[in-house]
Amino acid sequence: MSIEWIEQVLQLTVQMGTVYLIASLGEIYAERSGVLNLGLEGIMIMGAAISFIFTVAYNHLIAILVAAVVGILMSLILAVMTVHLRLNQVIVGLALTLLGIGLSGVITSPGIREKILLTLNPNLPEKMLTIQQAEKLLEIPIPLLSQIPILGRALFNHNVLVYFSLITAFSMWFILFKTRAGLVIRSVGENPSMADTLGVNVFLVRYITVIISGLFASLAGAYFFIGFHPFWREGVTAGRGFIAIALVILATWNPLRAILGAYLFGGIETLQYRLQLLGLGAQSPYFLAMLPYIITIIALILISTESLRKKIGAPASLGIPYSREE
Amino acid sequence: MVIKLSSRFFKQYTVKIEKRLEYSRKFAILTTITSILIAFGVAGIALSILGVDVVVAYTQVLTVFTKLPLLIEAIKYAIPIGLAALGLNIAFRMNFWNIGAEGQIYMGMFASTGIVLLHVYYGLIPEYLVLITMIVASFIAGGAWCTLPAILKAKMKVNEILTTLMMNYVAIYFIDFLIYGPWRDPKGYGFPLSVPFPSYAKLTILFGDSVYLGSILLLTMAMVVFLILKYSKLGFELRVIGESLETARYAGINFVKAITLGGFISGGIAGLGGLAIVSGIIGRLRPRASAGYGYTAIIVTLLSALNPWLIIPTSIFFGGLFVAGNMLQATLNIPGATIDMLQALIFLFLLFGELIKRYKLRIVVRGVSVEH
Repeated sequence: MSIEWIEQVLQLTVQMGTVYLIASLGEIYAERSGVLNLGLEGIMIMGAAISFIFTVAYNHLIAILVAAVVGILMSLILAVMTVHLRLNQVIVGLALTLLGIGLSGVITSPGIREKILLTLNPNLPEKMLTIQQAEKLLEIPIPLLSQIPILGRALFNHNVLVYFSLITAFSMWFILFKTRAGLVIRSVGENPSMADTLGVNVFLVRYITVIISGLFASLAGAYFFIGFHPFWREGVTAGRGFIAIALVILATWNPLRAILGAYLFGGIETLQYRLQLLGLGAQSPYFLAMLPYIITIIALILISTESLRKKIGAPASLGIPYSREE
Repeated sequence: MVIKLSSRFFKQYTVKIEKRLEYSRKFAILTTITSILIAFGVAGIALSILGVDVVVAYTQVLTVFTKLPLLIEAIKYAIPIGLAALGLNIAFRMNFWNIGAEGQIYMGMFASTGIVLLHVYYGLIPEYLVLITMIVASFIAGGAWCTLPAILKAKMKVNEILTTLMMNYVAIYFIDFLIYGPWRDPKGYGFPLSVPFPSYAKLTILFGDSVYLGSILLLTMAMVVFLILKYSKLGFELRVIGESLETARYAGINFVKAITLGGFISGGIAGLGGLAIVSGIIGRLRPRASAGYGYTAIIVTLLSALNPWLIIPTSIFFGGLFVAGNMLQATLNIPGATIDMLQALIFLFLLFGELIKRYKLRIVVRGVSVEH
């Protein structure tokens, strides 16, 4: 294991972890306000599919913008059905995941993708219509800082979305814990009827946070595809949306802890491939792959104790629809 | 909830949304069928915009239910889906949101294959006992996989939605490990497959076709679930727990015991679904052998309104969708994901249907009310 190898693993850890970080940041807001968005995986894979098609047809910027819009629209379905119509969040979330997986599979299937690409951009050269990959986002090394041995490459040599995720994590932490808006969101998740009595519009707050979760999930999918692994196959996100939901619990609904958790999960995933290349334990990848889920189950058990729940501030009304009638 | 329409034209109208106190069975069935038709309609429009030949696709779906060989194929897929759904039926009755049928299916596959390997490699179990041992083992393995989240929920209030969901992935990777590692067939040219099951370890054992024995298994389990929920003490306790944990507590129900046992039975029946896949459809173990049947089972259970008998036709319907999906993909160059989309839309519109069942609109015109 040379220095080169360590540098590479660390860089990949951050890049992989960023997928989880972006998705979990939005989910933290939704869950803090009391809504469990289980549709994360479906929105994420749609983000990836949209970013694939629009990068091939136009460019990265348009791809990211369209992915963002699609994420917002999909989360609106969840918001209307769970916040207003008070349907079961688990069921709606799973339905949304299924919808995303199906729709992304349809729009990227070879024949249909060709038609969509031609409609979007009739001047596209023939070979672009059938390619299974897209151009990757360029890495922008930060001058000087990226030259620091070992850590430089891991922290300061990434594409723009990685830097964005870190800045956003800090600002979202600040908003959640240091501003009035954050207090409102947390109070809605803790005790919605109390918040309502105090004049907070519970429905509006939940709509906004659910939309944020959809926006970030879709961005995470777009980042995963054009920023990390720009080769399309059906079901490309492979359950990473659910890992992001797991991360929210591990991070105990805190955006700053989510950074650490994301890189932990990213590191575990990177090692799955890297250790295999080194010939270390042919069986290890499967147990490493289980690790994020097992860690999350343990975290769930630990935070179930009442005293720890209070200390962390786990949203007490998570998953419970709010209604003024009852 | 009251919605006031504020435009000048609507000034004298108020639209009220009220809870429907009761509804007839006919009304419920009608709403469900309408929801499914709307889902097909919306999916049709969306798919044709995307350029899918909807007429061909839907004809294919219809063909599955009108041609006998295809219908039998649909039933083959319906068996694991139906078994998992029957398990979920028990869990959902006690308000235990078991999302883990997929993992429990995989544990069922693990146990069935394990028994076959014990027999093939070590000659442990006599031939005539292999299948019955596999059934018992897959029930126990699936049940154990669901017992853990059940105990955690009953004793420590750990959210079962998240634990069962996470445990699905643990089970899937565990099977991956086995089949890429110690359980790989040494004579299998390196493919990630177990040894093929001998004929007496398959559900084809009695009538030569896995559908018959599988169907008996499915019907028996439907009967078991029906009897448990309707006539047993446990079933009564589970329903009380499902209505309100507080009530159960005041009624002196040992809810830790009831939830644990309910969880075990729920996971166990889903585990039999795993047996139905390896022993009824594939005839050996391979990685990712379940194409999300455990998640489809959630739709089936809810669509059947927690009625074990309705689960059978509903799972045949979804089994047929899977068969249609495979055929579309293979022969007609229409993406198989079309079927996923269809499932999702049926799911979503069904939820809207639930709302219509639960609520009604009342339009009040200057004191005169019109119901809808």
